Amino acid sequence: MGTTKKYWKGLDELQETSSFLEKKDKEFQQSMTIDEFFGNKSLNEASTGRRDFLKFLGFSVAAATVASCEAPVTKVIPYVVKPENVTPGMPTFYATTYYDGNSYASILVKTREGRPIHIKGNRDFGFTQGGTNPQIVASVLSLYDSTKLRGPRANGEEKQDWKKEIDTPIINGLNAVKSKGGKIVFVSNTIISPSMLAAIETFKTAYGTEGNFEHIQYDAVSYAAVRKANEVSFGKNIIPDYDFSKAKTIVSVGADFLTSWLLSTEYQKQYSLTRNPDAAWMSKHFQFEANMSPTGSTADYRSMIKPSEQAKVLSYILAKLGTKTAVPSDLRSDVQAIADKAVAELKKSKGESLVVAGANDVTVQILANKINSVLGAYSTTINTNNPINLFASEDEKMNKFAADLIGGKKPDAVLFYGTNPVYSLPNGQEFAKALEGVKLSISFSTYDDETATKCKFITPDLHALESWNDYQPKANHYAIAQPTIRPLFNAASALESLLIWSDNKYERLAKDSKVAYRYIRERYETANAGGTRFDMVVHNSCMDTEKQGASASFDDAALSNLKYTQPAAGSFEIELYQKTAIGVGLQAGNPWLQEMPDAITKVTWDNYMTMNPVQMKKLGYATIYDEKHGLNLATVTVNGATIELPIVPSPGQTLDTVGIALGYGRGENGTNAGPSAYVTKEYGGYELDDKGNKVPVGKNAFRITSFNNGTFNYYASSDVKKSDKPLYLIAATQLNHTVMGRHSIVKETNLDIYTSTGKEAYNPANVIGTHHGDKHVSEFDLWEAHPVENIGHRWAMTIDLNKCFGCGACLIACQSENNIPVVGKHEVRKGREMAWLRIDRYYSSDEELTTGLKKDRLDFDYNAAEIASLNPNVVHMPMMCQHCNHAPCETVCPVAATTHSDEGLNQMVYNRCIGTRYCANNCPYKVRRFNWFNYPSYKKFTQINPAQDDLGRLVLNPDVTVRTRGVMEKCTFCVQNIQTSKLQAKAEGRPVRDGEFQTACAEACPSEAIIVGDWNDVNSAVRKGSEEKRSYQALEEIGVKPNMWYKTKVRNDENPDLAKVQVDKVKPETNHEH
Amino acid sequence: MHKEAAIRVPLILGHKTYGDITNDVCQPIEGRAPKGWYILFTIALIIGLYGVGAILYLLGTGIGAWGLNKTIGWAWDITNFVWWVGIGHAGTLISAVLLLFRQKWRFAINRSAEAMTIFAVFMAGIYPMIHMGRIWLAYWVFPIPNQFGSLWVNFNSPLLWDVFAISTYLSVSVVFWYIGLIPDFATIRDRAKKPVAKKMYSILSFGWSGRAKQWNRFELVSLVLAGLATPLVFSVHSIVSFDFATSVIPGWHTTIFPPYFVAGAVFSGFAMVQTLMLTIRKAFKLEAYLHIKHIEYMNIVIMVTGSIVGVAYISELFISWYSGVEYEGYAFFNRATGPYWWAYATMMTCNVVSPQLMWFKKLRTSILFTFFISIVVNIGMWFERFVIIATSLTRDYLPSAWSMQYPTHTDVGIFIGTIGLFFVFYLLFLRYFPVLPIAELKTIMKSSGEYYKNLPDTHHEEGHEDDAHNTTNNH
Repeated sequence: MGTTKKYWKGLDELQETSSFLEKKDKEFQQSMTIDEFFGNKSLNEASTGRRDFLKFLGFSVAAATVASCEAPVTKVIPYVVKPENVTPGMPTFYATTYYDGNSYASILVKTREGRPIHIKGNRDFGFTQGGTNPQIVASVLSLYDSTKLRGPRANGEEKQDWKKEIDTPIINGLNAVKSKGGKIVFVSNTIISPSMLAAIETFKTAYGTEGNFEHIQYDAVSYAAVRKANEVSFGKNIIPDYDFSKAKTIVSVGADFLTSWLLSTEYQKQYSLTRNPDAAWMSKHFQFEANMSPTGSTADYRSMIKPSEQAKVLSYILAKLGTKTAVPSDLRSDVQAIADKAVAELKKSKGESLVVAGANDVTVQILANKINSVLGAYSTTINTNNPINLFASEDEKMNKFAADLIGGKKPDAVLFYGTNPVYSLPNGQEFAKALEGVKLSISFSTYDDETATKCKFITPDLHALESWNDYQPKANHYAIAQPTIRPLFNAASALESLLIWSDNKYERLAKDSKVAYRYIRERYETANAGGTRFDMVVHNSCMDTEKQGASASFDDAALSNLKYTQPAAGSFEIELYQKTAIGVGLQAGNPWLQEMPDAITKVTWDNYMTMNPVQMKKLGYATIYDEKHGLNLATVTVNGATIELPIVPSPGQTLDTVGIALGYGRGENGTNAGPSAYVTKEYGGYELDDKGNKVPVGKNAFRITSFNNGTFNYYASSDVKKSDKPLYLIAATQLNHTVMGRHSIVKETNLDIYTSTGKEAYNPANVIGTHHGDKHVSEFDLWEAHPVENIGHRWAMTIDLNKCFGCGACLIACQSENNIPVVGKHEVRKGREMAWLRIDRYYSSDEELTTGLKKDRLDFDYNAAEIASLNPNVVHMPMMCQHCNHAPCETVCPVAATTHSDEGLNQMVYNRCIGTRYCANNCPYKVRRFNWFNYPSYKKFTQINPAQDDLGRLVLNPDVTVRTRGVMEKCTFCVQNIQTSKLQAKAEGRPVRDGEFQTACAEACPSEAIIVGDWNDVNSAVRKGSEEKRSYQALEEIGVKPNMWYKTKVRNDENPDLAKVQVDKVKPETNHEH
Repeated sequence: MHKEAAIRVPLILGHKTYGDITNDVCQPIEGRAPKGWYILFTIALIIGLYGVGAILYLLGTGIGAWGLNKTIGWAWDITNFVWWVGIGHAGTLISAVLLLFRQKWRFAINRSAEAMTIFAVFMAGIYPMIHMGRIWLAYWVFPIPNQFGSLWVNFNSPLLWDVFAISTYLSVSVVFWYIGLIPDFATIRDRAKKPVAKKMYSILSFGWSGRAKQWNRFELVSLVLAGLATPLVFSVHSIVSFDFATSVIPGWHTTIFPPYFVAGAVFSGFAMVQTLMLTIRKAFKLEAYLHIKHIEYMNIVIMVTGSIVGVAYISELFISWYSGVEYEGYAFFNRATGPYWWAYATMMTCNVVSPQLMWFKKLRTSILFTFFISIVVNIGMWFERFVIIATSLTRDYLPSAWSMQYPTHTDVGIFIGTIGLFFVFYLLFLRYFPVLPIAELKTIMKSSGEYYKNLPDTHHEEGHEDDAHNTTNNH
């Protein structure tokens, strides 16, 4: 049997067919001979050999294996030798000073792993006491602007070697000028750096022949008239030191002293101190102005005047105080009524008042000086013996220089430092052409901007955060600016360059050069031998010296020479002003600032003309705007310069006037002013004009400034011509401007009512009538209470509406701290700005007694309530996540991506969010923000979102996640700071101290309107604040139980109608109680 | 056999035999599709593909492709969702509730109404998916065990209830519809000549042989499913309405919503059934099975539900004023007089005024007028959802955040696209599925067929035998 058993593989084998037998012994059945294989020509042509093939195969397999593993992990390599003061994960703060020629502040710079990421005001040192403005806070982003010059330029070409390619030709050029006795002009902004001034002296000695060296200080926005007026009035060409904190009556005629006028960073804090209704006194603030400014919006009385009427108002007040002048004092009755009130108050508070005027006009400033002098302010609120060194613009010299240059009287060499006259001179374009003919021209600009591109050499200065500097902003104040990062580019401090060119003992040492540092230090140590150590000054960033007492006597001869300037022809007067975000346009390329809504109009990414909507309707302009509805364009023509801009309605704008912001239109004609100075297209890329140049955002309003009576003026007259062009789409973050008489959002009263009645009058409790009697809304609960009350921490915030004037420093601080993406004009227009914090600005309407209080509850016209009054009251209300303890957003999220912490925070878990947006819909405050696109990578945002730039990304706060597309985000109460302070306290074995934890917005607020802290700590400022009688919770009646309290706005004005309503409401109740 | 009064209008006109019914219903499936079908199918497919393209664009770029903003997080997306869910309401109502109430006229419409329901719910289901910012994580809405530890869904969220409500509704509707189709598939299978068709229909018919036992189980299952589906008719749209009713937004936060949404859904669902059935009736020459009486019945349902909706609108207005709540009052004032007054006016005209015209017998028995009104009602119901969802959001508590909603091409494209896709499915249904329930129609033949009604009583028995023969042979 065994032998017959047969195993077969197939039928063929079993049957032993012939074909099977044939193939049986061949392993590879379809045979191919070796010759045939290698004879194949195509095989020989292939370059891959067998060994190579095997190598490739091996590599591919290995590569595929590696690639199929988890995404590669990039490990952070720890320091081998840890640098002193740098602990990974721990921020280091440096005290330093910010000065850009227009704003000044003592600041703290937060650095992480050696890179500055956030700027806040320094509350401990310096007279600005923590005051900043949005431009200062945002300047940290400008540091990382990758469009800045990466190195010096000679004749338009970028050079690497400073010594050979820059210094040598410049020194040779200067020597040539010197040898022939040629003229050198050094144009700069106001230099308050003693070292820089000394360096200029050195430079002058090195190259200037007698009478042939001129240093012109020229500011884009000049306050020369203040100095001139003081020269005439007191014999001193100075700007005095103003102290708003002592002023019981403040009268400002056209001066926006809270956000742009002179040292506004200092005045903000001083002013806010006088705005406390619980203090012994509260200031009364009168504002006469044409544009609604942030300062005017917070005034107790605001009167609409034309720019040309500033002198008249002052003259009127002066006349009422007993001094007649040659300036006419006829006023319209409405202005006069308020002026009379102001006079009465000024008389009442003699010696404790302050009158300031905005116009850069000597007559106006002399009148203001005289009033202050009559009222005795020069011994209290104004100190002429401690002058401010800022704003020393020499308008006459600059105007003459420009005229000479254009006229062909060219200097042999010209240097520009911190100034951009091609942009900011009215005749800048002619100036630019003439400048090309100057043999040796040098600019210290960090950009190849309007003036710099016309210069032969650009020797870029360092950013303020990269360089050493010293400042003397006031007679009694010395400050130091220290670098917080090694220079990013091949740039050099202007101080260093000047020294190197003038004295061969100094040597270029590239990035690590210590020339400027040593120079400043040596000068300090020589001058202050035995005084405070230099290191100490650097640590504090500043040092005060003795202050001279205030006293001045007004020279009445000044009044004999007053010239009242009649407005030029034109049906409209134009007032040029600075926006808090853009200022004079120094940081026009900074996307945070471009996207920051204007304090009043809430418009972003544009400049425009503001006109009173009442007048716009009469003239047939569109007044309603939104995503799809634009506004009319119109043109003004001044001295041959025509500007076309959209007309934006701005209630409170004086009739027959328009306001235009300066600082726009940067980077014309293909020059560079930074990435965000240009108009971007809706789907990415820049808009280009016919010549292929990028189109600047807005128009340059400096072109319509003028030079009159020895100063540059920022008002003009013109007809406003409506354009036939299609309506212009504008991006605003707030489209409805009134609070519609809704009383539980904004509460307002006035000082008389506040001091004479109880809380019930202006801040009544929210009660609901039940059959058990009235009960407070908080007693009605659908949910169980969150375990936050009286257990552990309960983070909370109070915001004082009385102190907020809408400057917006908090907005930029929040953006900087929390990595908030920039989305651009088109997205803002569609209502998709990402700001976690916004400032709602509400105008009162004629239907309201005051903002948020209906005149007549039963006969309330909603449609009329949407329209702001001609000259409305304004309330600024910062609005962010209210961290409701019964948050409507939390219950509706299907995946529990937003939850409540045991410390009262409403948390957002980005990783868990699937993006249904239900939470945002259900948020009564509408503070949640959705990532509509992938902002860090989508091409639409390449030009504007710093997170899309390798360098710009360095500004991101490593403690805060950059959110991806499709997730919701919102204010976190800066939870990263909470964690830090908790960990710190834990490490030190103590409870968290009150004030230890701060949110970015609270830190940035110059008037300290925002207070944060632990509500469960009964002694904390926030707890006490929340229990004040002014405190209320917005929309309390819907029962969401926010951890935020607002404090009722108290105006120091008279409002008999309001008193009738608010006080009468209380009366029957009090009777009832008796 | 249920006996029906002679005075009742017969439901099947003419002298239809059982065989005629089979022939009439099977004819479109077995014959070549008319040119018109291909034209319509191509148009629907193109529109549908455009919608798919718009969806892909949306998924590729982000929700920003829609015209939403910080204030308005939902507009066309959820409006369309609710609109489609509403349309998808009539099918189950017709098949379940009318079955329980023994409304025989439902047989003329239930099959296609159920198909409409299913396709409408498909379309509705697209929106909650694509409206998510991160659709790739959509499965997180299901309470599935996960690697994240104890991470669970939020059972407090009405959106989660939606997930359960819609998925339950869809599955029960599909089962109900399919069970009803089995005997008819078997009929088609038996008649099919082409092998592929035969194979397909034999798979679809699950081996139905028509035995008494099967018929008995079939009836039982239908009844049980009807019992299950009936509460769903009310639950689905009630739960959809909870998305809004449980929120704090004025205009959303309204206790009247559940009944009002259900009535509105039935209202719009019947309108859509009218639109579709009047077309099919004409195209497939089904006048004998779906005649004026059926149309009139449906119009009466539209009139009643339309009136409920109308009363609800007016109650809302009254309550918003009577409550004295500032925000509530304004929300409704704004609806009527604000920037979206035209949407509100459209809604009022289409939903409140137009159904009242059905009181006139002449109008409710006019086919052309009915067709017109059915379209008007569906437009009106779309606006109702838009008014509730978007208009309420545009102006809620803080006037600073008030905004306007402008749709983009993507918004419109996706909406039109889902209409296209719906018709793609529906046309395929018309082509390959029996549009009338063959087996069920035959059950009312004797009681409600015109011919049998007019026969003298004595003839009944004979006729019955004749036709019983026909049934089994399935001619």
